[in-house]
Amino acid sequence: MDWDLFSASFWPILREGVRGTIPLALASFAIGLVLALGIALLRLSATPVLSWLGRAYVSVIRGTPLLVQLFVVFYGMPSVGIVIDPWPSAIIAFSLNVGGYAAEVIRAAILSVPTGQWEAAYTIGMPRAKALRRIVLPQAARVSVPPLSNTFISLVKDTSLASLILVTEAFRQAQNIAAFSSEFMLLYVEAALVYWLMCTVLSIGQDRLERRLERYV
Amino acid sequence: MRRTRVLATALTAVSLVLALGACSSGSDDAAGAGGSATGGSDLGLVTGGTLTVATEGTYRPFSYHEDGSGTLVGYDVEVAQAVGAKLGLKVAFEETQWDAIFAGLDAGRFDTIANQVSITDERKAKYLFSAPYTTSHGVVIVKDGDTSITSFADLQGKTTAQSLTSNWYQLAQESGAKVEPVEGWAQAVALLEQGRIDATINDSLTYLDYVKEHGPSGLAVAATTDDSSQSAFVVGKKRQALATAIDGALADLAADGTLAALSEKYFGEDVSK
Repeated sequence: MDWDLFSASFWPILREGVRGTIPLALASFAIGLVLALGIALLRLSATPVLSWLGRAYVSVIRGTPLLVQLFVVFYGMPSVGIVIDPWPSAIIAFSLNVGGYAAEVIRAAILSVPTGQWEAAYTIGMPRAKALRRIVLPQAARVSVPPLSNTFISLVKDTSLASLILVTEAFRQAQNIAAFSSEFMLLYVEAALVYWLMCTVLSIGQDRLERRLERYV
Repeated sequence: MRRTRVLATALTAVSLVLALGACSSGSDDAAGAGGSATGGSDLGLVTGGTLTVATEGTYRPFSYHEDGSGTLVGYDVEVAQAVGAKLGLKVAFEETQWDAIFAGLDAGRFDTIANQVSITDERKAKYLFSAPYTTSHGVVIVKDGDTSITSFADLQGKTTAQSLTSNWYQLAQESGAKVEPVEGWAQAVALLEQGRIDATINDSLTYLDYVKEHGPSGLAVAATTDDSSQSAFVVGKKRQALATAIDGALADLAADGTLAALSEKYFGEDVSK
């Protein structure tokens, strides 16, 4: 065990985690959630074409590996003339991915709101869009927080794949140091610890959020 | 309260590292025991009677699949098979990404690497090398028509793409280039052709083969290293017996003309010395 190397490399890895991994995960998750809400509403739509579109999207995203999605955006698009920088490429691929997974969570959460809530909203004269926004979505949000947190934690770890398309984040920093020191075992374990640490902190945030949303029960 | 929690986290971390460390040293012992089952009894092979060789499988013309999906072939692959035959061992190939290849060797997942591993001082400090079986030069490859790079010194401030663990990565860094790490030659060339990097450094043989396969590629050689680099089989530091055995086999293959013939087959000239 090379403790000097361990302690000397801990901060550089964590720093890239804070500067690279976490912003990448947050930006992708935010965009992905908006996308997911749209896809979920498409899937719930009574119009067959729209619901089929939503279904097809979820099927493609869930049926293909994230790494392949990243490579298609970064290495594949240039062959049709679209060259996107590493960071935007990563954000595009990750948000498309989150969109697919979170759409199913949101759809299930909306369906979990009793039909009576819709009916009550209609009774007092609310149109469908308003009923959704004011009555159904707030209740669905509470239900969807635990599974969405799960999606987010997965995303934080999945961002390590961005190291393969030239994005600097925690894992790439660990690989850099490992390449020069030839201490692969040590640096990989250290990278694992950094991800674990980041995910633990984020889980605490999730707990807080859940407790806050309990107020709406 | 906070202090205990920090301490507990630190202790968990330490025990995890130690446990994993113990696993990796344990696998060396296991490998030794496995080797004594059949042939090559004193070589400490991962699987008795079989030489387990790591290679990329995506590195033309050294290690690749015929027509992209057929059998694993290539200069390094055939040299490894010939070495195995001389030693009376079966040869099993493990296809691994280059950046994980040394980590795999450290972990005792295979006996040796046949993937144009250049002999460098840094690697010699950590691994044993066999006698070399390839000699080549490094070249700086740029887009055809790019006159801003004509030497290694011109890489100062430019962007190149290299595998993290390759010696070209270090050469590029020493030349002052900003280096983007990639998985291998295929990605480096893609980035160069897409105009995302200015240059990439690689083996002259790799480049020549690429041009041979792709016709006029829109790429050009901007500079060549003065000194040549030699590639050899690499094994773990404790496997002296295996390194010696491979050396013996390579000497036999050089003497009976096998190496020269394989080299001629893939490169049209003898690059084995």
